Amino acid sequence: MADTTTDIADDIVDDAMGSTHDLTNDDHNDHGGDHGEDHGHGPHLSLGLSNMKLAMWLFLGSECLLFGALISTYLLSKVNFLQELVAGNPYVVGTIGGEIEVEMIAQNSVEPMFDIPFTSASSFVLLMSSLTMVLAHKAVLEGDYRNSRVWLAATALLGSVFIGGQVYEFTAFYREGLTYTGNLFGSAFYTLTGFHGLHVTGGIVMLAALLILSSRGKLQADRAETVELVGLYWHFVDIVWVLIFTIVYLIP
Amino acid sequence: MAAEIDIHAHDDSHPTEKQYWVVFVVLAVLTAVEVAWSYMGLEGVALVAPLIIMMVVKFLLVAGVFMHLYFDTKILHGRLFWWTFVAAIILAVAVYFTVFATFEFGI
Repeated sequence: MADTTTDIADDIVDDAMGSTHDLTNDDHNDHGGDHGEDHGHGPHLSLGLSNMKLAMWLFLGSECLLFGALISTYLLSKVNFLQELVAGNPYVVGTIGGEIEVEMIAQNSVEPMFDIPFTSASSFVLLMSSLTMVLAHKAVLEGDYRNSRVWLAATALLGSVFIGGQVYEFTAFYREGLTYTGNLFGSAFYTLTGFHGLHVTGGIVMLAALLILSSRGKLQADRAETVELVGLYWHFVDIVWVLIFTIVYLIP
Repeated sequence: MAAEIDIHAHDDSHPTEKQYWVVFVVLAVLTAVEVAWSYMGLEGVALVAPLIIMMVVKFLLVAGVFMHLYFDTKILHGRLFWWTFVAAIILAVAVYFTVFATFEFGI
């Protein structure tokens, strides 16, 4: 039964990827040349990009709007939160713990809550995962499938470490009194960083799928663009963290 | 015919492995400098401006090299896609600053 299910899943993946491949060949033939499919990339149309890659960039553009809105909301809520905290608004003051609240009022900031060295280590881990991701793509392009699996696994592992760190951080904040529904700042902070964490988790799932495909010999150099597309998504998630790390954690 | 010219104009040269490592080291160093800068006890523009500049440099390095944006496409004898991307970022930042200004000054 399990084998049958696996076979069906394999067929679906094969059909989907095969269809894409056929389409790329059709487009390619329409242009009457053999320049469209090099190094496992799709056709390069008038914009100079394959359709799949252009679609990914458009998707990432929409993601920019999402995270832009979340970061803006966070900044606005933080300013309002601090103003009300300093003014001694009983609702705001009442939603966070005693000692940390006194520190926050004294420093007019949310810094006492953040563990910068810990978050810096998380940032470093995510940056390193971007490096392993490009190395995985390069390995697939060069037909070095064993190393590509090593780099893909390393990327997924580093992403998992980052997520583990975020879970630890959220737990620590919750124990200090910062809850999701307690005040506007908490809601904006958890929504922004939580959405980012969800994106990282989605990326880990994609990487796991690539690993499975590769281990079954279905991720050859002619499908390197699939790795590149997942890589684009992964690097975008990294870029968003570059912004969050500076704007949320480092700028008081 | 135009499409054919564009296809020929495509440049798919990717960075080398060494370049990837160099960019990673630069990113790591910038992150370390950012953290160190935030602990220097500076305030206002002296604190925020360098942090923002380093953040933008990291952003552009990841987008340009790791995402191949700077290397991928040469259209119309230039990096049209890259510059479109940069222009869009500038536009987005301008829009968000306008939104903040609206909240700040109650326009």
